Amino acid sequence: MLIAEKLEKTYRRHAVQVRVLNGLDLEVKTGEFLSIVGASGSGKSTLLHLLGTLDAPDGGRVVFDGKRIDNLPARERDALRNRTFAYIFQFYHLLPELNALDNVLMPAYIAHSTFNWWQSRAQWRQRAEDLLKKVGLGHRLQHRPRELSGGELQRVAIARALLMNPRVLLADEPTGNLDAESGGEIVRLLRDINREEGVTIVMVTHNLEIVSATDRVVRMVDGVITEDTPAPRLPFHARLAAV
Amino acid sequence: MYKLLLCVRYLRTRYLAFICIISVMLGVATLIVVNAVMSGFSTKLKDRLHGVLSDVIVDTDRPDGFEVVREEKRDLTPEEVAKYAPELKMRPPGTTLHVSRTQTVHAMVIETTDGKSMFTRRHLTPEGIAHEIRTGPVGDKIEAITPAIETFAVLQFRDNYGRVVAKPVRLIGVDPEGRTAVGGFSEYLDRQKGSQHPNFDLTPEALQRAEWNQQQNARLNGPVVQPKADQPLVPLPGAIPPPKMDIEVGMPKAQMHGVIVGHSIAHFRYRKNGEMIEEVALAPGDNVVITTAGGEDLKPVWGSFYVADYLKTEMSEYDQSFVYVSLEQLQRIRGMSDRATAFQIKLKRYDRDKKVVCEELQKYFPHRDAKVATWEELQGPLLDAIEVERRILNILLFMIIGVAGFSILAIFTMIVSEKYRDIGILKSLGASSWGVMTIFVGYGLLLGTVGCLLGTALGLTITHYINEIEAFMTRLTGAALFPKDVYYFKEIPTNIEWLTVLVVNLGAVVIATTFSLLPAWRAAMLHPVRALRSE
Repeated sequence: MLIAEKLEKTYRRHAVQVRVLNGLDLEVKTGEFLSIVGASGSGKSTLLHLLGTLDAPDGGRVVFDGKRIDNLPARERDALRNRTFAYIFQFYHLLPELNALDNVLMPAYIAHSTFNWWQSRAQWRQRAEDLLKKVGLGHRLQHRPRELSGGELQRVAIARALLMNPRVLLADEPTGNLDAESGGEIVRLLRDINREEGVTIVMVTHNLEIVSATDRVVRMVDGVITEDTPAPRLPFHARLAAV
Repeated sequence: MYKLLLCVRYLRTRYLAFICIISVMLGVATLIVVNAVMSGFSTKLKDRLHGVLSDVIVDTDRPDGFEVVREEKRDLTPEEVAKYAPELKMRPPGTTLHVSRTQTVHAMVIETTDGKSMFTRRHLTPEGIAHEIRTGPVGDKIEAITPAIETFAVLQFRDNYGRVVAKPVRLIGVDPEGRTAVGGFSEYLDRQKGSQHPNFDLTPEALQRAEWNQQQNARLNGPVVQPKADQPLVPLPGAIPPPKMDIEVGMPKAQMHGVIVGHSIAHFRYRKNGEMIEEVALAPGDNVVITTAGGEDLKPVWGSFYVADYLKTEMSEYDQSFVYVSLEQLQRIRGMSDRATAFQIKLKRYDRDKKVVCEELQKYFPHRDAKVATWEELQGPLLDAIEVERRILNILLFMIIGVAGFSILAIFTMIVSEKYRDIGILKSLGASSWGVMTIFVGYGLLLGTVGCLLGTALGLTITHYINEIEAFMTRLTGAALFPKDVYYFKEIPTNIEWLTVLVVNLGAVVIATTFSLLPAWRAAMLHPVRALRSE
């Protein structure tokens, strides 16, 4: 469903060029829960940004449902990010001025003009409340981000990601900033979403504990995939190396 | 939808935004107050200038006034031939046979050159001229017209310490009722303020004072040395010699002539221990001597008058130079009976009719020496100066809002860099660059609008209570902000022009929005990945 072909990406910092992706190939299948592991700087996050059209590759292409998406006009890429893809970040990235409910509603705010919003606001509010209840935050709708714990923040971010019924969820180290318990809950939640709603999930992680919850693991070294295995069969020494 | 939501939310949660709002507010408030005061000054000034001048003024530089002559030649009737035959035999041709006078026609001179025909020459009196204008083509556009004599004179009187004081004045002879009908006269009088029938009569108290003055004078200075009574009365050609006038001190009360003097002429002002003191120099009933030039030959002539009232226009120029006497009296002194040097005209609809009336009047007075002008034309340079002053002040003050604009630029740049991550988040959620830009431009617009609304409210409040504020500031600082001796207005005049308020508001909103464009553009151009990485 989501295919990366010979992706190349180079960042320039001053005079130094850093080649982050080096002709990477990857295919994500519909309904799959894929995890990507690798050392810091191996290009995991960059890959995620390219898959979700948040950034453009220097070479290669990204194909979604048989259609090339990395070179679409800005307007169509914005629409894709709004409706088809959804991101979850390590640092949650909620808007500090808005309460949990408004944060969850933000993709819908972006998708609608003021007039359309007034017509459909009741449904969207209901959906956002349901989602927040589903992630276990039905009692914290009006709380601002600074009043919530890390695990709660990430759950708000997940609810926001699910609002527009995306087809692909791109999670960038969603547990990276959480303790083991909260992290475990987040991963369970993601797995449930994957199983129950059939949302394809691509998750970047450092944490090998949580990899076992996913269907497939790919390993990145220096901007290419070096290992591609079903999750549980990951060898122990490899786990250590990844950590 | 998110643009509106975030604009409002940023406004409510960023205290920095309030600095922008305050700077816009202060700029707008200042502009509104300054404009209201400037406009108040100029409106009041215009009112005064207009009032004292009337709508349209026709005047002449000829010292003996307008001369409008109607001539006619016709054959004598047999009865007239019979009547004048004895005289015609005795006198040469061209003899004046008969002189008559009505209210509108000063002199009807009948001459003959051949004994069979009659040559009539009519000199129109001011009333006659006014009558012809009123029945003329633009007569229906004229509400009131009154003749006047304007000339320069020296006013002499004894001050409270017995010293003789002489002041150069503008001496104006008017018919008080006619002048009142034209407007801008009786409302500026002190005792007869607003009266429909003002006059130059003395009140009983003033008469008493006049008598007491005479007794004092006689006691201190001995018998009054009477000025010579043979005044140089200059009869006009063909005019009836006016009756000899007794205008000296000591005449019967019925013949005491009143004068209305400018308030500043009749009052001395001086500073004592920092305070302004006003002392009456000429009380009602006090005697003044006015010396001016005769109508035809410009020989010095003089008349004695008694103060009947004060003129207080609150325009220093007028209050220190205007002296009104009755038209009839001035005609007599100057020896130009039934002549006037000016006509003051009030129109029914000034703005619509001023042009056509001026043109028509110019045709009516074909002589080069008759100048027809509207009051605006006469005061043009002054009114222009006020307008220029106001324009410059507005430009300078809009720079204040420009400064507010730069503070918006600086603060917005700060807010945008503070919001880098939010911008990345919004873009990752599908917000377009244009949308992000709209948030910040909208934010600027909102700040500008809120600042303008508050500024307008503040400006209008200050304008409304400006005199109270002035009094408070004066009490607080001890120095008068609006010294009464500099400005003759009793209080600070204000006039709120809604168009100006609107323009100020629009200008401020445009400036606020324009200055938010650059930071907004920077926000829009931010790369989402880089924005998300920023901490």
